Amino acid sequence: MSTAQWLLMFHVASAFCFVGGSVTAAILNGLALRAERPSEVAALLRLIRRVLPVIFVGVAGTLVFGIWLWHEQGYAIGAAWIWVSLVLWVVANALGGRGGRLQEQARVLAERLAGEGDTPSAELSAALRERTGLWLSYGAGVATLAILVLMIWKPGS
Amino acid sequence: MTLLASTHPFWPLFLHVLGTMTLFGAVLAALVTAAAGLRRAAFASLLVALPAWVVALGAGHWLEHDEGLSGASPTWLQLGRNVLEPGVLVLLLALAAAWWWRSSGKQAAGRATAALAGIYLVLLTVAMLAMSGKWS
Repeated sequence: MSTAQWLLMFHVASAFCFVGGSVTAAILNGLALRAERPSEVAALLRLIRRVLPVIFVGVAGTLVFGIWLWHEQGYAIGAAWIWVSLVLWVVANALGGRGGRLQEQARVLAERLAGEGDTPSAELSAALRERTGLWLSYGAGVATLAILVLMIWKPGS
Repeated sequence: MTLLASTHPFWPLFLHVLGTMTLFGAVLAALVTAAAGLRRAAFASLLVALPAWVVALGAGHWLEHDEGLSGASPTWLQLGRNVLEPGVLVLLLALAAAWWWRSSGKQAAGRATAALAGIYLVLLTVAMLAMSGKWS
């Protein structure tokens, strides 16, 4: 295998960790929204924390191997699709990180309610459906999808 | 849209990659929920994996046709085909185990769900590495 093939393999593997891990987090979050008891919600949101290392490896790997590939493949320094992807990468991580912090607050509330009788709670339901958190997560998802479109389309290259 | 459609085969490659990434994420969700003993969540995660598998397979065949690879059998392509086509049996067995677990509550079914989801995740990872690295 050539250097470029190795780099592409690691770049794609990182993208699978990034996007696949995000899909896992989205599924767990979606299941938490449908769960009734606070203990179920807490268990599902705790699992998102276990998946975070996968996402972090993907986030770091896509950037490192992507920039290395940029040099190795000889793409122009001014390639707009790469710069736009880098901006979207920052946006996706900023939105995902902020959304994750709001989700963490909901998990702490769920853990507390689970220890206080574990009955369905309107407060927890509202915390899980808090608009800002949901929109931040949707925004991170759209930015990630846009990166995937640009990486496959490569407009202008 | 027209511009995207007129360049190299964007749509089949995009849908194939998106489908396999979603499949990977759904199977990972099934593995972590099964390992944590959450039977309804494991079953629901595997249900998400099924449409993702359909998209990955359909777009894969579309891509093979567009790229003229239908008759070809390099290692990377053969590995990808084997994991997506006969390999789906592992996914279906995981789904059956999760359904059994959900309806019976038996621990053995939970262990089987976690093991089968783990095996399918490994198979998907090997296929992804082979296809992106174009193993010969």
